[in-house]
Amino acid sequence: MSTRDSHRRDGVVASLRETMADLVSLRSSGGPVTKGGFTVSTRFSSSIIAIVAVLAVLSLGATPVAGQAPLPTPPEAHTWDPPRTPDGQPDIRGHWSQQNRITTYSIQEGTADRETHIGITGQTAATGRPIIDPPDGKIPYQPWAAERAQFLFDEHWGPSKIEYIDPVSRGFLDGLPRINYRGAMKILQPPGQVIMINEYNHTYRVIPLDGSPHIGSDIKLWMGDSRGHWEGNTLVVDVTNLNEHTWLDIVGSFHSDALHLVERWTFVNPDRIDYEVTIEDPKVYARPWKLLVNHGRMDDNYEQWESAVWEGNNAVEVILGAPPKLRRSRW
Amino acid sequence: MKRLVSGWTTGLTVLVAASALVPAAQAQTVPRGADGKPNFSGFWQVMSSAAWNIQDHHADVNVPAGQGVVEGNEIPYQPWALAQKQENFENRETADPNGQCYLPGVPRIMYMPFPFQIVQTPTYTAILFEYVHAVRHIFMDGTPHPEGHIDWWMGDSRGHWDGDTLVVDVTHFDERTWFDQAGNFHSDALHLVERYSFVDADTIRYEVTVEDSKVFTRPWTMSLLFYRHKEENFRLLEYECYAFDDLFRAVE
Repeated sequence: MSTRDSHRRDGVVASLRETMADLVSLRSSGGPVTKGGFTVSTRFSSSIIAIVAVLAVLSLGATPVAGQAPLPTPPEAHTWDPPRTPDGQPDIRGHWSQQNRITTYSIQEGTADRETHIGITGQTAATGRPIIDPPDGKIPYQPWAAERAQFLFDEHWGPSKIEYIDPVSRGFLDGLPRINYRGAMKILQPPGQVIMINEYNHTYRVIPLDGSPHIGSDIKLWMGDSRGHWEGNTLVVDVTNLNEHTWLDIVGSFHSDALHLVERWTFVNPDRIDYEVTIEDPKVYARPWKLLVNHGRMDDNYEQWESAVWEGNNAVEVILGAPPKLRRSRW
Repeated sequence: MKRLVSGWTTGLTVLVAASALVPAAQAQTVPRGADGKPNFSGFWQVMSSAAWNIQDHHADVNVPAGQGVVEGNEIPYQPWALAQKQENFENRETADPNGQCYLPGVPRIMYMPFPFQIVQTPTYTAILFEYVHAVRHIFMDGTPHPEGHIDWWMGDSRGHWDGDTLVVDVTHFDERTWFDQAGNFHSDALHLVERYSFVDADTIRYEVTVEDSKVFTRPWTMSLLFYRHKEENFRLLEYECYAFDDLFRAVE
């Protein structure tokens, strides 16, 4: 096996880990995607059973962790002088991925969620959880919203309606902040912008740094509208214009279209970025809350390859046993 | 380009030769990167009806008329393939893969009626599309296509410079995409050579040579223009083809 193949294989395994973490997405496949001995990581030709088997194999190296799921490493003092881009930004160009074994199965602390997860995967509790505020690791829902969240959680094993299936499992975009605890991300920094390209489901964000205003509030987007600026070594990004259709994990942690994020991407050292986000939604949460995720630098020669999620997606058919109507383009 | 022997006489000769080949206005006014190459970064979109039909066509319901973008207007199909194309055309309302909201493939996505953003660096260029948030990665670091064949909706793109023209070789295609809504199609043997060059600072000429020995009798070429978006605070929005409200609960 060449270095290149080996590199790709590692990427496939990493991607499998990441995507398998979403195993109850039941993302079965649109057919085999291997040809000429290549395996493409983005569609799966096997059944859910096979997916679980793969996960079990991948989990062999995982260290069981008793009790609470591990939290990301807290931000450190960062007084160093990082290299700069030609327009003077701290230079964070390159490939990054989250280092906390956070799955998007459930981001909340709590054994109920994790027992379910463990039951499916045999993965033990070797997953991280990102909520640092409030300290109990739970989303501070308003009372009505807590009921709704519990309902969605109860539904997630056997959804009775299509809208109770995780939107990502149906092939839709992760939205924010979920994409930031998924997987491989490439950062580009043309003058006056930061661009983040996520491998999973070929998602991207373009963050202008020029002080321009958000777009009109009637425009709702899966990935929102991001405007940023640098405060020292921290990229601060204000995100609005988010729609109400995305979830924060598979089990139905949700928000409304009033979601507002303030992201702080702190360049801690050449190989680490700490992502801390304050999440605010006055329609759904009792108070703002925070996630923390550590991102680490990947091999500079990493190549993102095609991740065609929708194209092979049979989640609705598998979960509900019914074919969706013919989809049609309307442009 | 061959590495040049050092020496001022050689350099002078090259300078004179280059200035004779490139119109002075173009050489000076197009955006260039730190590497001296033309920089195509920015927001672009066609003004063309090629996405409906890449050949000459008159208007139809919800289809704007258009002059074709195929050189000579003829697509050199093999006989069986011409019959297939005609069948595709008859069935286009249900058979067009874009109707399933799949990634549209290359070159079709380049001339769909949606803007895209080019982000260019010396060794890598991204093209970000509003339509189904597609991304093209164009690797320009001299690496070859991966071994294959690999079925990718958007192919594998490797770029290099031919003077001031960005040349992108694209291979590893899935056979399920079309060139347009009129049923023009290809196989998984599709191989493209794209050429991007500035006409002026706000216009890119896009030429693509199409080769597919399973479907066509010879290579053929399309030529289009990309126009720069200059609106204030312009950004790509989203066209999530498969996620509109009436499809959201679309189980019968």
